[in-house]
Amino acid sequence: MNNQIWETRPLEIWERAKELRAKWQKSIDESAASENALLAHGNAGRLDWSVGFTGLNIIEDNPVGAMLANKSDEFSRKCRMAAEIRGWGRELCGYVNNCWGSMFLGRQSDGSEFPMREMSVPFPDPCDQHTKRGQQCMDLSPIPRWGSDFTMYLGPRDPEREKAMIEHKVYCTLHVINEIERVFGREFDDEKLIAAIGLRPQIEIYAREITQLMTNIPSPIGQKDLNSFYTVGMLTKVDPEETLDFWRSLRDEIKWRVDNKIAAVGTERYRWMEAHPSPWHYLKYYRYMEKYGAVCIGSQYTHMMAGTLELKEDGRLGPTDEPRLPKDRSIRTREDALRATMLQARIPCGFKADEYFRVTAITDFAKGFHVNGAIMPLWRGGVGCTLTRKEQALRLNEIGVNTLHYEGSQPGDRTDMDEHHFLDQLDMWMENQGLRMLD
Amino acid sequence: MITCGIDVGLENIKVLLLKDDQISARACGRSGGAGRSAAAKALWNDVLKSAELSASDVSKTVATGRGRKDVTFADFCVTEPIADAKAALRIYPKAVSVMDIGADQVRVIPLSEKNGTSQPAFNQKCSAGLGTLLRYMSMRLEMTLDDIGACAHNPAGGVTVNDGCIVFAELDALELLNQNTGREDVACAIIEAVVVRLNAILHDKTAPPKEGVVLIGGVAKNAAVVSGLKTRSGIDFIVPNHAEYGGALGAALLAAEN
Repeated sequence: MNNQIWETRPLEIWERAKELRAKWQKSIDESAASENALLAHGNAGRLDWSVGFTGLNIIEDNPVGAMLANKSDEFSRKCRMAAEIRGWGRELCGYVNNCWGSMFLGRQSDGSEFPMREMSVPFPDPCDQHTKRGQQCMDLSPIPRWGSDFTMYLGPRDPEREKAMIEHKVYCTLHVINEIERVFGREFDDEKLIAAIGLRPQIEIYAREITQLMTNIPSPIGQKDLNSFYTVGMLTKVDPEETLDFWRSLRDEIKWRVDNKIAAVGTERYRWMEAHPSPWHYLKYYRYMEKYGAVCIGSQYTHMMAGTLELKEDGRLGPTDEPRLPKDRSIRTREDALRATMLQARIPCGFKADEYFRVTAITDFAKGFHVNGAIMPLWRGGVGCTLTRKEQALRLNEIGVNTLHYEGSQPGDRTDMDEHHFLDQLDMWMENQGLRMLD
Repeated sequence: MITCGIDVGLENIKVLLLKDDQISARACGRSGGAGRSAAAKALWNDVLKSAELSASDVSKTVATGRGRKDVTFADFCVTEPIADAKAALRIYPKAVSVMDIGADQVRVIPLSEKNGTSQPAFNQKCSAGLGTLLRYMSMRLEMTLDDIGACAHNPAGGVTVNDGCIVFAELDALELLNQNTGREDVACAIIEAVVVRLNAILHDKTAPPKEGVVLIGGVAKNAAVVSGLKTRSGIDFIVPNHAEYGGALGAALLAAEN
């Protein structure tokens, strides 16, 4: 057992992260209120092309629903009830019911007006929640809705199929852009899109460096920190240049922490990972685990800004060898640019993919981060988060990683959370591995 | 040397004394709800009195169970899987796994040669409170727990209750009684539902071994449950006398070791 104590201290970049987040929230509220700006509902991580429309902001249900769950259990319960009395229940996840409920109530958790969307661009997805998302905000207003197909599939890798899917996606998107231009009288700026395309891979490089830095012992930051950063530039989009600069600064600070052995948890002696989204309504359990000297190094979900990773021969996590930008021609037209964005976004993040991502990728992840244990919630509803969770646990057990399951409604819904049982299980699980709570 | 193990469960407290590695006294009492700490202390005093001992005669006391932290006079606490594993290896030195079925929780703990335990499986929510269900149903059916334990586990006439949720199981049972179904048949249906849930926990991670599995906890005293579980799982469980004291025994053994 490692009894070393490391120095720990808060991140200096916190204030800047908060400013960026507040800026994003302000942009959303202003978009809803302003006649010059547009607010679209959609899956922000897949709508990179939106930068081509000046004043177009994207808001996604997931981060809104997660934030609602985190900020106020009381208000998020009201939201879910507001959704339920309109006919939406457990078939939709907590994120969606929180967000839609807030929309139905017409207000956010701080009492401010709910920012109504002016269009909806949802995409079909293995998780049917994503597909349904556009429906209510469209029906309520009403507003235009355009489908935005998702370039992924299940089964073995098939480059020809990918090529066809990407072309399909490119032409779907061209149609959506043309329609927005027609309906709202806005002009799409191809040059802005082309300029932004080069930025995403750079952000990914910084994010990947952060992921690799977190494989160090002690980990320089933990999951609770990462939860605050991983949406910046993905689900909560602000100016691309500003986002890039933020990730560069974050990388610099985390590298400094690694160089100086500054730990997220000063007593780190146990490393654990999660499976995908955190229980946003109960983030304090990270602090509980810290009492055992246990640091959560994240999940495939919170490391998704780093792109798809695999275990290299040297035992370190590195990028897969997939091409992320077309190499055979330069980007000159809107179509070229869209194809490039689709190629960048083509590789699905772990929880939505086939056997490699479900099984091999999670063991690669565990090995790369040198984890001792994994906590893998079994959610009753929504977002596909529970898919294969038990299968993954068995594969982790085979490589010597201890696993714990607990049940709950969904990361954005505290209904089924049983705090006393959960903490009791954590105690038993940790003690069973020879760890006792530190004084 | 005299050591003491106290297992503070959701419904019952078990106190067990070991003298020179042999069980010298034991007692079981209600856990007392909000007065759990006082109830543990009172039961402990009763056991000492019956054994004609004073507190100073006890070298070390170890607490386990859900309410272990309420035993303020314990020298230290251990979580249930640790105590279960220790008890199982004492009960049957060649044990490869132990299953503990309590009022609230069910645990399956594979035993490893390396460090005693490995990868325990716990009940999830729908299987919580199986022991408590049996007690509630005994009151509802106006039968003793022993009466229920004497029932055959296969209900006559295909009478069933919900086997996914104990709340629904109890409501189903009530409805069956309202339909004039015989209470023994209702009891059998309840036992079958409990057995189905237990078998699911046994198979939570991997197929369990068929031999060398020790069964402890209060529900292990219920012959109908044990019989049904043996049939359904194919496991020839080792069930000790006084199975409900398994956790307390493990705690007392750990007290002697430390």
